[in-house]
Amino acid sequence: MANIALPAPRITDASGHYDLSILDNPRARSYYRRFDGILIIVLFSFIALGISIHYALTAGDWDYWIDWRDRRWWPLVTPLSLMIFIGGFVYPIWKAFRLPVIATAVTTLLCLVSWVSRYFNFGQFTDFPLSFTFPSTYIGLGVIFDSVLIMTRSLLISAIVGPFLFGALIWPLNWPLFAASKVPVEYSGTLVSVADLMGYQYIRTTTPEYLRIIEESTLRTFGGSVTPLTAVFSAFVAVIGYSLFLLLGAALYNFAGRYARRII
Amino acid sequence: MNTAKSRSPARYLGNALVLGVLVLLALPMEAVAHGERAQLASMRMRTLHWFDIEVSPVRVNVGDTVVITGKFIPSEFWPEQLPSVTDTAFLNVGAPGPKFIRVHSEVNGVPMIRSTAFEPGKLYEFKSVVRARVPGRYHIHPLLNVKDAGTLVGKGSWVEVEPSLTGEPFTNEITTLTGETVDLENVGLKSVIGWHLVWILVGVAFLAYWLAKPELFIPRYMRVRNLGPEQANTMITRRDFLAGGIFFTISMVLILAGYLWAEHKYPVTIPLQTGKVGVPGRPVPSGPLVVEVENANYELAGRSLTMRMKLANEGDSPIEIREFVTANIRFINGPAAAAGVVENEELVAGDSLHSSVSTIAPGQHVDVVLRAEDSLWETQRMTGLIHDPDSRFAGLLVYRDAEGKRYYQEVGGSILPKFF
Repeated sequence: MANIALPAPRITDASGHYDLSILDNPRARSYYRRFDGILIIVLFSFIALGISIHYALTAGDWDYWIDWRDRRWWPLVTPLSLMIFIGGFVYPIWKAFRLPVIATAVTTLLCLVSWVSRYFNFGQFTDFPLSFTFPSTYIGLGVIFDSVLIMTRSLLISAIVGPFLFGALIWPLNWPLFAASKVPVEYSGTLVSVADLMGYQYIRTTTPEYLRIIEESTLRTFGGSVTPLTAVFSAFVAVIGYSLFLLLGAALYNFAGRYARRII
Repeated sequence: MNTAKSRSPARYLGNALVLGVLVLLALPMEAVAHGERAQLASMRMRTLHWFDIEVSPVRVNVGDTVVITGKFIPSEFWPEQLPSVTDTAFLNVGAPGPKFIRVHSEVNGVPMIRSTAFEPGKLYEFKSVVRARVPGRYHIHPLLNVKDAGTLVGKGSWVEVEPSLTGEPFTNEITTLTGETVDLENVGLKSVIGWHLVWILVGVAFLAYWLAKPELFIPRYMRVRNLGPEQANTMITRRDFLAGGIFFTISMVLILAGYLWAEHKYPVTIPLQTGKVGVPGRPVPSGPLVVEVENANYELAGRSLTMRMKLANEGDSPIEIREFVTANIRFINGPAAAAGVVENEELVAGDSLHSSVSTIAPGQHVDVVLRAEDSLWETQRMTGLIHDPDSRFAGLLVYRDAEGKRYYQEVGGSILPKFF
């Protein structure tokens, strides 16, 4: 039987440009829209699962218990944890689709997943009160981050301004949630905060008091201005962490792109 | 009709897996162990000697208090390689989550809200007061968390918690130093939920703005490719820029407003408190008996520990050896009932401690062979001693004088196994 050479179907012209007239076809638009819906569900499910695992492994107890959320370590660890995750996704989504939604999507999905976990796992299953285990919020920081990317339309500028604001504003954003737990109490002759007292009263067999990695007294506290100094330091750490993972995301995206083109 | 499909190994395997899962689900078993037996025998014997542990009352209603009391002596034979209680430790309660709240704890009269450190060879008397919070039947223990070493568990007791007599939900009210009375079960929770809802609304609105666009992934990808990297930024329209600016401003204003609101509502706040408290140890009441361990053997076949020791009674009353306590196991000289044993809650071997000399008279110096013999050595995995890389033992020798006054002291040293 004679070989029949079939021409490969092409959707791009010789210069690699797509024929955009297809986007005017209502049927094609309908299919694209359905595909968008599926992709949103898949991408958001992947992000929700990924961020919950990543955050549990890297921030974990700092966000589970109110008596871990101190003014030195919590504002340092949590933005870094979130920034490295966001950094890996921003480059591909921006380069391929110009969609500045990753930081908001990650922080919003983390918030929703955390509430489900805290209510069922910590509340219904193990009986911890929600006032002791409620999640922190980072959505405002995600929106600010993405808005900076929208307004600057520059990965470079947003890699400096976005993470800086993310790290610097994390404490004031969460202060309305935390303040009630930082009110002083006298208990058995000892000064503690409401959060410390909850940590003492609500029994955690394998999480003793000393396990907390929180601020301890030191001679290097710059006159007690821990919160603003931590905010600035956290901002710089967030910029570095984000930038490194942005580069990693770029490298993976470019590598995957070259590999995919070779296969196709 | 038998088909190839119905006989396939994969089908059998699948059925077996389903059956196995169903059997596991149908046979729920109560988890009552804590993993102590998984710890090396020599480590259990040479870390902490718990004794005189009492839990009372064991039937309560929600809101009632339960008191856990007892004593412990950190071993002077504490393994060198194991982080020690001399660094950081915390007196804890072993319970399945916060079914109780801890309202007080102390060691030698010092409140134990914070972590502390203990001195080997000293006596510590502890007390923990817990308040029942959730109805159920719970096994509760005293625990000592030792930093970088692990958790050491004392004797546990079952406590039945019935619902509150008044039917009221559990509350945990305290008064802060600012004079406000709050319920820790829900302190600040309304604000937390309110602010979360505000931010979820902002986040969802932002995502909705972008995801509701008529063109998303494939059309945008095609346009980005056609426009090229230089021109692709024009896909962020003036409207997008404006929307970004509005969301940015709303978020900044909300953060500032929230911060000012919290500062106004809670003007007095403090950082989280931490640090260690000191607790002085008390001397162990070793009485007039001087003990020198010469050697010790563990007989695998006989499931017994034999200690040869020189004893000297320097007091004026005869001394009788009553008990040897190690790894939470009590080997008793005589019937268990006479030793104040709590039925079904302690690891006790009655008539299991045999001494070659029944009574040490005042002024008497005597060589004694003491044998602690019971199947508990096997069931509690103490036979693992012969497999440990550090074959040493320790335990608490308990004895009393003619007036019934109780004394105790720690004994220990090297141990050699006897295989036959």
